[in-house]
Order: sequence, then C-alpha cells, then structure tokens
Amino acid sequence: MNKEILIIGGGIAGIQSALDLADMGIKVHLVEKLPSIGGKMAQLDKTFPTNDCAI
Amino acid sequence: MLDVGRHPNIELLSYSEVEKVEGRIGDLRVTVRRKARYVEEDKCTGCGTCTEKCPTAVPDAFNEGLGDRRAIYSYFAQGIPSTHTIDPDQCRQLKGKKCGICAKTCQAEAINFDQKDRIVEIDVAAIIVAVGYDVFDPSRIPEYRYREITNVVTAIEFERLLSASGPTVGHLDRPSDRAVEAQIEELEKKARKSQKVLGKLEERFGESSAEFHEKYQAGQYQGDQERQKWADKYAAHLSVMEPLEDLKKRAEGFTVAKRLAFIQCVGSRDFRFYPFCSGYCCMHSVKEAIIAHEHEPETRSTIFGMDIRAVGKGFEEYKIRGGDHSNITYVRGRVAEITEGANHNPVVTYEDTRERKVKSQEFDMVILATACAPTKGIIELAKVVGIELDQYNFVKTSPLSPVDSTTPGIFVCGCAESPMDVPESVAQASSAAERAAEIAIQPRPEMEHAVA
Repeated sequence: MNKEILIIGGGIAGIQSALDLADMGIKVHLVEKLPSIGGKMAQLDKTFPTNDCAI
Repeated sequence: MLDVGRHPNIELLSYSEVEKVEGRIGDLRVTVRRKARYVEEDKCTGCGTCTEKCPTAVPDAFNEGLGDRRAIYSYFAQGIPSTHTIDPDQCRQLKGKKCGICAKTCQAEAINFDQKDRIVEIDVAAIIVAVGYDVFDPSRIPEYRYREITNVVTAIEFERLLSASGPTVGHLDRPSDRAVEAQIEELEKKARKSQKVLGKLEERFGESSAEFHEKYQAGQYQGDQERQKWADKYAAHLSVMEPLEDLKKRAEGFTVAKRLAFIQCVGSRDFRFYPFCSGYCCMHSVKEAIIAHEHEPETRSTIFGMDIRAVGKGFEEYKIRGGDHSNITYVRGRVAEITEGANHNPVVTYEDTRERKVKSQEFDMVILATACAPTKGIIELAKVVGIELDQYNFVKTSPLSPVDSTTPGIFVCGCAESPMDVPESVAQASSAAERAAEIAIQPRPEMEHAVA
C-alpha cells in the first residue's frame, strides 16, 4: 500500500497542497515543468487586496 | 516557496514532466521525465557567474519577453531550486558551435554538456493536478491591436513593468520609449567603434575627420586611396551619428506612463472566446492602478468594464479606496477599438453607457485584463492521467466535490479547475491535500467518498 502523493504543478496551488501534506507527515513528490517553482504568482509584484509582496 | 525546497517530506522534481500513469486509486505508478539541465543539481551553488559570461541573449519568459536572459539561466532571481539551467535551443555549445564559456567559469564544476534526460518511476496513492492556466492571447482580438501598438500590454506584462525585480526595476517606462532607448544603445555601440577607427586615422594624418572631410569634398585629395577609405569611414560614422542624435533628442522628452487605461473582460465574457467570467481580473486591474499610483502620484487610471466584480473579502472596500485615493475612474462600457495616436499613444474608443455617448480618449498606455485560459498542456495531461475535462478544457468536477476529478484518487486545485484568485487557490489546494491524505492514510481507499 502506497502512502505517498504526487502533485503536478508547482504554482501557488501545488505548493500549498505540498506543504499541507508534508506537514501531515505524508511524503510528497512535486513535479514542475519549468526550472523553478512559483508559477504565475511569482510573476506578480503585489497581491490584492492587501498589497502584500507576492513572493 | 523556500519551505518547499527544504521540507524533509517534499521531493522537488523541477524541470520535469509526467509521461505515464498506471494503476488505480491507492496504487498508482507514475513515470516522470527529468529533463536534462546540463547543470548538475547537487553541485550548482546558484552563484550566477555563468550567466554573467554567457554570450547568448534570449528573451526572458519570466519577464514576458520584456527583458533578456542568457542561454544559461536561473528562471528568476529567487527561484527554487536555485540550480541554473542551459536552454538547449539557444546554447552555442549544445548547438554544435564552439563555446563552453560557462563550463570554464563555473568554480563548482557543475556544467555537464553530456547530461541526458532521466526517467524515474514513483509509486503513489493519489495525484493532485495543479497545473494552473495560460494567459489569453489578446492578439486574437483584432480591434485591440495588441502587438501592433507597442504601448498596449497585457496585465501580466504590466505586472513585470511594475515589479522592482522586473526589467525596468519598477519604473513605468513605456514599451515604445524602451524600444527607442534600446536603439540608442545599439547605435552608441556602433558609434564608439567607428569613432575608434577614425581616431586612429586622425592621429596618423594629424587633422580632425571633419576638417579633412571638408578638404576632401573640395577635391583636394583626388586619387589618394588611403584618404578615400578615411572619407568612406567618416561617411559611415555620420550615418550612425545623425539618427543617434535625433533619437537622443526624442528620448529627452520621455517620462513614465501617467495616463493608464485598463480594459476588462479581454477574452472572457466574450462569446467569440470564453463566455465565463475569469473572476480575478477586475481586482487585478484595481491593484495595478493602485500600485502605479503609489509609484507615481500623478498617475491617473481609467478602468473600462461592463461592471467591476469585487466579490471577496475586503475587495469592494479596496475598489472604493482605489477611486478615492488612487485617481481611479471607473467607466461602465466596453471598448470598441484601440488606435494609435501621436507619440505612440493608444487612443481608446468606447461607449460610455451612463451618458449614452461614444467617446475617444488618449492614454500613455493601455493594459488588457486578459482572460484565464485553460493551459495548453492540459489536454495531453488529462489523457496521461486519465481524467475528463469540461467544455472549456478545465478539469471536470461537480459542485459538491469541487476538488475530485472524474477518476477516483485524482484531485484538482487552483486554475486547472476553473478561474480563481490566490486566496481561493490556496483554500482549494488545502482541500485537495486533505482529500489526497484520506487516501494515503486510510486502509481502504476504494471506499466511496461521502458528500454532504
């Protein structure tokens, strides 16, 4: 019986899923097509409605 | 992001793609292709010396092509992992030419031109699909003349111009002005070269090029081949200097963009393309207008839209604050056309539905709030993973199980499921994580999931 999870996509959604599962003690494999994770959100300067830094 | 790189329970497989999925819920075998970076991940320290020396400049995808990167690059400055990557389509060495400068400069000896793709197999209990979305290509809307008028940009391009880590370090320089500045730089390089050649000739003959040229034109040096060459070189130099001076004069008048137009529903709520509302674009435009105003207090923004959809915690207040304190005017109406006026200024023609009048207004820049389009790769991925897509090619789900795909054990979150903003993506991601965890920890994963 496998206990590990695969996540496809390393944007904000994939990152959040990976961290939640990892913090539950579940081993996660996070696959990202591009050289670095971060996705579209890493390209954003700030986020609404608080103008917090995106990275 | 940083936590992902160092969490003991997360194995990060970046620059990789899923090629095959076999088995069923609770017992899935996944084949992943780890693409060759031509850089050893365990040796590269991410210092960046290689990128400083690499001779090949390529448009930078992270900056939406508004800046350059090198053939060896880190995707973006704070990227995780910090390992650099060689772009095989651009690298001189990998294309068979003589280079290898990066390998010579790398102190960690991390460059490996012989690296090959690796195939790894992973056994898992469940899969979460979080592949995101693509920005709608607005050149499909002919009347907005994206790519034809340089100062019409997409919201994500504008985001890179606003960013302190972007190609303009946060200054709202207009693309048309940046093109002129790039031309000036190019011509200055040429002028420096020709000046150097002329300098040598001036030293040899003991007079300035201008003085010589006057005499030459008066017919003083007829038949002198050496001086004939000098005259040709001087003429070539002048043909660089004249346009250079003109461009420099033009560049003196350049200021940052202060009159901004935001156009909503570009590709969404449009029956020619996507009938759905992309959800986040209204607030995205309000945010960009507020940040632009923070950078330059004289900035005035106009947001053209059918309505401003500020649905979310604190969103309506944010919209009102933009109008009250950040010089934002909201105009109810759809833009019919963008044309190019004097000085590369885009001119927006629209119907003001409140006044029932067709109007035109000139701006320094126009920003298109582009739709959230399903990502191109998802059709192939859906076949590989074995899930169904909806009529737009988002992952098919049902209202009471919004993170369950049509296949048990395969979950979805974020814009792969439907257009959504950051807080919604994060909430859905946690939900998908919880659903996947149920399968990983429960003894009988094939048990049907109870819905409310």
